[in-house]
Amino acid sequence: MKVVIKAENVWKKYGSTIALRGASLELREGETKVIIGPSGAGKSTFLKCLNLLIRPDEGRICIDGEEITSLKADIIRLRQKIGFVFQEFNLFHHLTAVGNITIGLTKVKGMSKEDALEKAKRVLKMVHIGEDLWNKYPAQLSGGQKQRVAIARALAMDPLVMLYDEPTSALDPGLSSEVLLVIKDLSERGITSLVVTHEMGFAYEVADTIAIMNNGRIIEEGSPEEMEYMKTKEARNILNRWNGMKNGVLA
Amino acid sequence: MPSIYSFFRYIPFVVEGTLWTISLVLGGLVIGFFIGLSLALVQSFGGERLKKMLNIYIWFFRGTPLLVLLSLFYWAVFPSLGLELSPLETSIAVLGMRSGAYQSQIFKDSINSVDYGQILAARSIGMSNRKLISYIVLPQALRISIPAWSNEYAVILKDSAICFALGVMEILTRVRYVSTATGLALLPYLFAGVLFFILTFAGTGVMDFVYRRAKIPGMLEGLR
Repeated sequence: MKVVIKAENVWKKYGSTIALRGASLELREGETKVIIGPSGAGKSTFLKCLNLLIRPDEGRICIDGEEITSLKADIIRLRQKIGFVFQEFNLFHHLTAVGNITIGLTKVKGMSKEDALEKAKRVLKMVHIGEDLWNKYPAQLSGGQKQRVAIARALAMDPLVMLYDEPTSALDPGLSSEVLLVIKDLSERGITSLVVTHEMGFAYEVADTIAIMNNGRIIEEGSPEEMEYMKTKEARNILNRWNGMKNGVLA
Repeated sequence: MPSIYSFFRYIPFVVEGTLWTISLVLGGLVIGFFIGLSLALVQSFGGERLKKMLNIYIWFFRGTPLLVLLSLFYWAVFPSLGLELSPLETSIAVLGMRSGAYQSQIFKDSINSVDYGQILAARSIGMSNRKLISYIVLPQALRISIPAWSNEYAVILKDSAICFALGVMEILTRVRYVSTATGLALLPYLFAGVLFFILTFAGTGVMDFVYRRAKIPGMLEGLR
């Protein structure tokens, strides 16, 4: 399987605070990788560095073989290869659910309005947003609906990989599970995904690989089955603390 | 003893001044809109050096009395640039430049009130800065700015009266003429006040209507 994202030795500093200390990661086509780790571990910063929403201070990030961290990189084109789903949804307030999707298709991809509309309807159905909600504005949608529209917006751009930055942390458990089910569904369709989450049940159920992040770097990774045999004490401690949360999220 | 009836035959003359006042206000607002929006975009997205330079412009026009600006530009700046502008043109230009300084603050605040998350989201789908400003930031910022812009309309309308200093034939200039001609004071000035009130009321009413029409469904409804 080809490598879709390769991040090597990524560093990021905010003033005197070091958010990333040489984080590295590899994501292969069709793989679903979940990054877990305590708050402040640098997970969100790392994810935002991958499509250069935050520029790292050091390190090398390649998307589909092209180095996005190079000063010569065509960032706008490379970003289109990465779908990004934010913790706080970040829908465009002035546009309807459909408008949130068609704006990227028409203004970035140059698609005709008719084709963009057709595609928007198709992806909205994929994330289980019914026709009655297509023309609603973000302020008229529930949190779960907003996040599913946000997933559809990213998905519509036909990215090589979807990045999810704690997609359920602003939602209550009921709404979380409807979003997680959509992510699980997309992952099962073979869409390459990198998910930062605190939902351990989801991680064990959906991930091909779980990466444990702490103190600004990925300390260890493995399949869900391998989680019981983590080599480092640091990883085992984090897992022990979190394993109590792994039941019932997608129930 | 001056007769109040002598005033009535001057009413069409004073009312005609309304057109001049409207020209001043609309001209000033439109020029101010483009200057203000450009300044606000630079202040929100531009480099630090450019921001500092533009701050000088803003502070100059916000900190100098309108009467001083009118005189300065009419008697000194425009002639020295080889521009022969009429009092009306000078007044519109000065009102516009001054309003631009004030409008820049209105637009800057409304641009900044579009949450940064949306800008990140626009970047994440591959929008350039130009596209995200055009399709994401401005459509929201301009809606948000309507109430404050409506206030700017009321301010510039009242400020336009100062243009009598250059002899622009707006409402106040004509009322002063009528007052001298008839020997009346209360009635002409009261009439001028009523005209300004009607223009303020009508203009802000239109802006309120536009604001209601442009409002994003579901947003801010709880606050009204």
